[in-house]
Amino acid sequence: MAAPHETGKGLSQGARNALPLILFMIIGFAAPLLAVIAYSFMPPRSFGLTHAPTLDNYADIFTSNSYISFGWSMLFAALTVALLALICYPIAYGMARLFGRWSPILTLLFTIPLFVSENVRLYGWILFLIKNGVLLGTLKSWFGIEPESILFTPGVVLLGMVYVYLPFMLFPMTLGVSMVPNETREAARDLGASRWQVFREVELPLSMPGIMIGLLLTFVLAVGAIAEAKVLGGQTIIPITHDIEIAFTYAQNWPLGAALAVLLMIVVGTLVMLVLKRFDLDAILGKR
Amino acid sequence: MLKTPLSRRNFMQRSTAFAAAVAAGAKFTTTPAHAAREKELNILCWEGYNSAQVLDPFRQDKGATVKAESLTNDPTMVNRLRAGETKIWDLINVNNPWARKIMAPEGLIKPLDRATFEPYFDKMMPAFKAPYKWAMDEKGEQLIGMAQRFGPYCFVVNTDKVSRKAAEDQGWNLWNDPANDKKYGVLESDDWNVFNICCIAGFDPFKVHNDDEVAKFTETAKRVFKGAKVVGDIATMNQSLVSGEIDFHLTGGTYSASPARADGAANIRGITPNSGPMEGGKGGIVWIEITSPVNNPELSPLAVEFLKYVQDPKVAHTVAFAEGTFNPVAQMGNKECFDLFTKEELDAIQWDSLEEEVARSVEYDIVPDYDKLLDIMTAAKKEASAG
Repeated sequence: MAAPHETGKGLSQGARNALPLILFMIIGFAAPLLAVIAYSFMPPRSFGLTHAPTLDNYADIFTSNSYISFGWSMLFAALTVALLALICYPIAYGMARLFGRWSPILTLLFTIPLFVSENVRLYGWILFLIKNGVLLGTLKSWFGIEPESILFTPGVVLLGMVYVYLPFMLFPMTLGVSMVPNETREAARDLGASRWQVFREVELPLSMPGIMIGLLLTFVLAVGAIAEAKVLGGQTIIPITHDIEIAFTYAQNWPLGAALAVLLMIVVGTLVMLVLKRFDLDAILGKR
Repeated sequence: MLKTPLSRRNFMQRSTAFAAAVAAGAKFTTTPAHAAREKELNILCWEGYNSAQVLDPFRQDKGATVKAESLTNDPTMVNRLRAGETKIWDLINVNNPWARKIMAPEGLIKPLDRATFEPYFDKMMPAFKAPYKWAMDEKGEQLIGMAQRFGPYCFVVNTDKVSRKAAEDQGWNLWNDPANDKKYGVLESDDWNVFNICCIAGFDPFKVHNDDEVAKFTETAKRVFKGAKVVGDIATMNQSLVSGEIDFHLTGGTYSASPARADGAANIRGITPNSGPMEGGKGGIVWIEITSPVNNPELSPLAVEFLKYVQDPKVAHTVAFAEGTFNPVAQMGNKECFDLFTKEELDAIQWDSLEEEVARSVEYDIVPDYDKLLDIMTAAKKEASAG
């Protein structure tokens, strides 16, 4: 297509206007990413980009037990997404269709925790769950029962992740459910569809854009989670992000940390692309 | 993160400095390099020296902009200088071996004037009398830094669960007793955990290790992390000890236990084993911070002034009880400084046993095969997490 404002002197007006943004993206987004990729090919424990490239870091990763950390990150992200989908859909449905004037208040309640730092909220959970803390201390003093503490277990890590990422699933999902016109439900019922058929064949497919965005957003965030495993889990599990952090700090092995980060980006990117290939967001959103 | 608390006063100072810089205009660029940094000081340090209590009086007195960045491990700080940040920093505050054995030979730090600074050592506790080993270069000719905070650092127990005597007698073997599984935590301080796992395995950390010792280290690291109930930061360790989630934790001492003790938990106590695998059968390790001028081509003249400033008895007391952790300081050898400490403060830093704990300890040193042992320990941590 011919550009409407072609000047004949190289760049179109549109391209020239976009130039500051393009430069900003190159400097702010592409350059750090390229630096990480370049570092991943530097010799282990080196601190510059001037050495001869090597695949040593990748070889180290594939011969070490890094797969455990990758496995934990993927598993906990998948479990978080699955649990949040189950928890959030009914709430989203209620907020979009049933709660009426209470919906904005609920939205506010789900939003308020986002104003408090994640670490502070997680330490709040520690005070709640710790031995002789709010929960176990109350049970002990009021009812004389002393259950075992569940703090520093994988289950609590999952609880923390579900708690932290709930709004990121809920709000896109609510948007998705509210995008379904009521007339389509009524038409389906008029044509004899059961409640289940209306849900499966009308509501679910039509609210899929919101659901998909929620699933993807939550998965990408959850796979990069670190604080939940460190704070609530007491490092009973080591996610890949923690591995990367150790490489960049105590181990002083930036190239190894960079290689782990590159592999994580490849794994997550591939998964996201596979999902997007199966569910074409543009098509669902009705852009083509 | 650069910590530069902005008070009304230093806002005015900075505004004035900025206005002066603008007024100076082109003259500023032709001024000799050192003059450009007369009112500027950048410090790379462990937490405490970056606190407003320590820095604000110096800022006010000198009308200077002082920036201090706090990190919590030595190798990271030293690597920052190696990566070219000698142009940024004026002072670096790390533990004892790094100045003498690494930074001075690599030309990352500058010597101090002995005639000016050695008299300060004479006012410190007896062990620090000049020439103090860790403040001197390897040849013993140049003074390369000043000493201040120090402390024994091995492990911490809740004395309601394990008595001080039992912990000191059993020492590192607490971690060799399977009955203690899931009763302990491990502080996320990976460099020190490497030292301590060597001690649990029964050999000196501060030497090159043979294959048998590396194999023993691997087995011990796996066992220690598998038996740990929690691995976390100082706050998590103290909270877990106070609440009863754990009975003791690896890597700790006055530095980590003092915040809990200052808060009234006198049953949380740093322990130095009576014996261990270090030279002379010693069981403990003690760290001593050394603060050195960085080999900055435009070193601020305030670097030397700051080193003098923190020797003042009142400032030394403030450094000992700056935010974060509380620690003994070498200047407590000066009565004028010691008298500033209250009984509660002395209890918090375990003054009652400090001398004997230091006597049972070797001084922190470089582990020659640290990288290899750290990689083994990191892998062991991951393996433990796989169940």
